[in-house]
Amino acid sequence: MAPKGQPVNMQKEQMFGLAEKEMEYRVDLFNRLTQTCFSKCIEKRHKEAELNMGENSCIDRCVSKYWQVTNLVGQMLGNQPQA
Amino acid sequence: MDKSMLGDLDGLPEEDKLRMAAMVDQLQIRDSLRMYNSLVERCFTDCVDTFRRKTLDKQEESCVKRCAEKFLKHSMRVGMRFAELNQGVATPD
Repeated sequence: MAPKGQPVNMQKEQMFGLAEKEMEYRVDLFNRLTQTCFSKCIEKRHKEAELNMGENSCIDRCVSKYWQVTNLVGQMLGNQPQA
Repeated sequence: MDKSMLGDLDGLPEEDKLRMAAMVDQLQIRDSLRMYNSLVERCFTDCVDTFRRKTLDKQEESCVKRCAEKFLKHSMRVGMRFAELNQGVATPD
């Protein structure tokens, strides 16, 4: 195992780096999603502290559509020939 | 932020699990500070637009409180749906 120590460690570091980027990306996505759907679904005068039925279903659909758009754009970027 | 969205850490050696957990904690701190700032910005923008006095009037204050409370509820709901999508659960229309 000893001679392989270095590359294994390197690989592990790379894995941690990737995992960290992935987590950061997920958190960022979640935050943008939350902000965007709040802007689109929640009435700005804030007369109520509760979400009403219309807002609730708007949120569910908004999240689902945002997700679809994420995948759609991802696919298009993925299909792009490498520049 | 919800820990369930980060996938499971089972099957990793103890040392790596700790390292991942530390990473998550750090992200969470950063994230909650960011959330604080953006929530203040949003509720301020939505609720406060006159400046005849230097303190919030009753109406502005209750608007801010409702705004913040509502945002937290909103964020929890989005978190639930987001977790479902991450796990590939089909949701009804």
